[in-house]
Formats: sequence, C-alpha cells, structure tokens
Amino acid sequence: MDWFERQNIIVIVSGLSLGVLGVLLVLWGNPQNSGICVSCFLENSAGALGLHDNPRMQYLRPELIGFVLGAVVAAFAGREFKSRGGSAPLPRLLAGVFLIVGCAVFIGCPIKMFFRLMAGDLTTLAGIAGLVVGVWLGLKGLAAGVHIGGSKQQADGAGIWVPLAFLLLLAFILWPPAFLLQSTRGSAAQAAPVLIALAVGLSLGVLAQRSRFCITGSIRDGLLMGHRSPLLWGFIAFLVSGFITSLATDQFKPGFYGQPGAHLDLLWGFLGMLLVGLLSVLIGGCPFRQLIKSGEGDADAGLVVIGMFLGAGLVQSWQIAGTTAGVSLYGKVAVMVGLIFVLVNMLFYRERLD
Amino acid sequence: MAGRDRFDILIAGGMLVCVLTLGVLLAGGQERDPSTAALDKALEQQIAYQARIDFLHNLYQPVEDLRLAGQVSAALLKLDELARHYPQEAHGQILQAEILLERGVTRESIDHYVRALRLNGDYVDKASPLSRRSEIEQLVEAQLPVFAARVRKNPQDPALQKSLTGLYYLQSRLAGGCE
Repeated sequence: MDWFERQNIIVIVSGLSLGVLGVLLVLWGNPQNSGICVSCFLENSAGALGLHDNPRMQYLRPELIGFVLGAVVAAFAGREFKSRGGSAPLPRLLAGVFLIVGCAVFIGCPIKMFFRLMAGDLTTLAGIAGLVVGVWLGLKGLAAGVHIGGSKQQADGAGIWVPLAFLLLLAFILWPPAFLLQSTRGSAAQAAPVLIALAVGLSLGVLAQRSRFCITGSIRDGLLMGHRSPLLWGFIAFLVSGFITSLATDQFKPGFYGQPGAHLDLLWGFLGMLLVGLLSVLIGGCPFRQLIKSGEGDADAGLVVIGMFLGAGLVQSWQIAGTTAGVSLYGKVAVMVGLIFVLVNMLFYRERLD
Repeated sequence: MAGRDRFDILIAGGMLVCVLTLGVLLAGGQERDPSTAALDKALEQQIAYQARIDFLHNLYQPVEDLRLAGQVSAALLKLDELARHYPQEAHGQILQAEILLERGVTRESIDHYVRALRLNGDYVDKASPLSRRSEIEQLVEAQLPVFAARVRKNPQDPALQKSLTGLYYLQSRLAGGCE
C-alpha cells in the first residue's frame, strides 16, 4: 500500500478522526461508550419522532443528521452525487430493520462495539467474533453467487429524497415542532451540545464519504486483501486513536463485569453481530456506511436507512433491544427471524450457472 | 420530449403555489393554530411523569410513615400488600431493598434493587426525582469486594453467585451506557 497516496491518507485520517471524536463526544455529554453509535442514535431519533414510547430513549441526535448531510456536501463537492437504486427494494428495507435488530440485541452498532472494546469492555469479544464470522459467511455467499443486484443509474431526483428528509430533521432541531419528543431522563437525556454534535457529524460525514470508510467493509477487505487493504489501515487507525483517547481521558476500565450498556448473554451478542456482519456484506456496508451512501444519492441505501428507522422504533416498542439484564425472548426470536430472512434471501438471490 | 411546454409551466406554477403556501403556514401559522397546544407531547409527557411521581409518593406514604415510626415489620407487610396490587411497580422494590439493607439483610436487599432497576432505570439517574443513585453506589462499593471474596471461597454456592451477579448488574447500570 502506498502510504502517501491521497486516498489512503484520507482513509487513515477518517479512522483517526472517528476514534478521537467518538471518545470525546462522551466527554462532551453523550452516554458512556456511546460517543458514536448509529443504532443507538437511530433508536433515540425514532423515539423523538414518536416511533416508540420509551421515554428514556427519545432525542433527535444531531450527529446522525450530520453524517448524512456531510456526505451530501462531500458528494456534491466531489461531483459524486449520483441518483442510483432500483435493486431489491423490499429486501433492502427489511435488511435495514434486521440490521437494527442485530445491533439492538448486542447493544450497539459495529462502531460502538469497537468503542466499547477500546474502553475495556471485554464482553464485546463475542460480538466481534460474531461480526467477523458474519462478514466471512457473507463473503462465502458472494463467492457462491449470491448477489442482491447492483444499483442502476436513476432519474436525477431519485437520490435526493433521503438527503431532503435529513434536511427536514435538521429543521426539526433548529425549530423544534410541538410533536417532537425529548427525554428528560435516561441515556437519551445525555447529549453533547447540539452545535458540537452537529459539527462532529458533518465532519465525519464528509470524511466517510471521501474515504468510503466502513467497519464491515474494513473487515471484508482485510479478509480478502490482508495488509494491502487501505480500509483495514483506516480501521486500525480508528482502533489505535480510540484506545489512546480512551486511556488519555480515563475512560479505559478493562473487565467483563460492570461495564456500561453491556450484557453477559454472549451467545446472543455473537448471533446479533453475526446477523449484522452477514447483512452488511450482502447489502454493501454497515449501518454507518448505509447513511453515508444515502447521502451520495444511493436510493437503495436510502431504503435501508428507512428500514433502520423503522427497526429502531420496533426494537424499543417490542422489547427486542438487549439491556444490561440480558436479551429478552423477543430479542432472541427477532435475531432468529433475521437469520432466517437473510438465509432465505441468500437462496433466492443466488445466481446459478444453469 | 424537447424543450419546455405548457405542461411543464403548469407543474412549475403548481409547485410555486405549494411552496408559497407552505412558507405562509410555517411563517405564521403556528401561533394561530388552536390544535398546537394539544400537540405539545413533550409537555404532556412531563406532566404525566410528575403525576406518576406524586402518585407513587401518595401510594407509598403509609410505608414511609411506618418506617419513620420504627414499625419495620408492619412496613414490610404493607409493601407486600401493595406489591399484590402493583406487581410491576419498581418503587415498592426500592423501599423493600432500603428496609432490608437497614436491617442488615444484604443479599435480599441486592435482589430487590436489581428487580427495581430492571423495571425502571430512573433510580440510577442523577437528575431523576426518584434517584437512589448514591445509595446504590455505596452498596456496590461496599459489598462488591465482600461478595467477590466470598464467591472465591465458596464457588459452588449459587446464592452467593446470584448476589455477586446482581452487584455486577447494579455496577453496570451505574456505569451508564445507552439502553
């Protein structure tokens, strides 16, 4: 890998920024180990919009809006905003739902999982194993001909609707309407100042669009290309910078027990993340990457994002989300249904020679 | 189709009318809209929460009175009676945990704190009027090393193991996180 090539530098800078800013957001007010967590932010935001009624999980997270709008700005600036889509819309929508199911059962998206690890939470090892196995199985599926279909160029307007929806959400933050909910207690009441959160979200959105940074993509490329993969080095930069910032800010507390927002249902943490890894490979990116792609005009990713919002409401309303007490029966059932969903689609979308 | 025709102009005109109407609605409509007050869900939520806290205070006041009067057994009986009517209410579990802790019944006290927090996380929130955070912090700090040592000595004792797991759960809830 050429370390001084522009694209590789951007990937490394993205990883470093994500690691440092994610830990700093906790110091600025976000919940412990949740400086950046796409699934938590979606659950909070879905609650704020009235999609679930958990009064401790309702806050329209500015970081989430920043990710998408930052990607829009970067895509337009780099002339990369292209309306595309049209591939397996309903499976992608449901994939978005099940991505959040997997994350919620584990308690956190892949980004948060590594933030938890960098803060010393050893229960994440099961989730990490699950994510790697999921990505590996996804790659086996791709090699066997599973292909959900490629996006096609679409009419100019097709890709603008998700960015416009996030612009509307930004307007909700600036001029809160009467129906918007905001928790006064619980984890959603813990938040970095709005302008800081928005600025962090926007800058990470810009960097992630330029670099194509993606957690599952990094693992996928690492498995395929080894140390030659730039994304893998970006991922390592993320881990190293996050770990050093955790140490420097006294947030590193290693152990299995007493960790914030963690449970000891290790098997279900493993399976939840396996579901996320497998789905992410098949639909082309982790939850964070789906947000960024939707900001580039990818209507397929936009449908995944809508599915993730829907899933974020459902995991709270139906008590699917894991808690420190463990994973509920509903959570376990939802993960199994998710795995059945993905396996059925792997059969249906397999391209065969005959 | 080449160039703009009358249909395009009609669509553009219709869109302009809609955008202007939207602008007028957003600029001044909120003050004039009589249904807006009814839609203030955040306020409704706050009122409902405050009402809930007042209800809990009233409901459990007899228990508090008995505790103050030193009639601990009667207070526990009253809590049992209330628990039959409100089995999913965390506040009773918290009071029971506090009474048992005062009497030195640590294991059962830990169980009740765990049950309470599983039902309602408000008890570890710093800002909540129901908060028992400092009491739970003291319990965990004092008892975690004690129970960890006891479990090391008697690893086969399931009751000890349960209490230690409960203390780890309380420690985890105190540590925060997003759930």
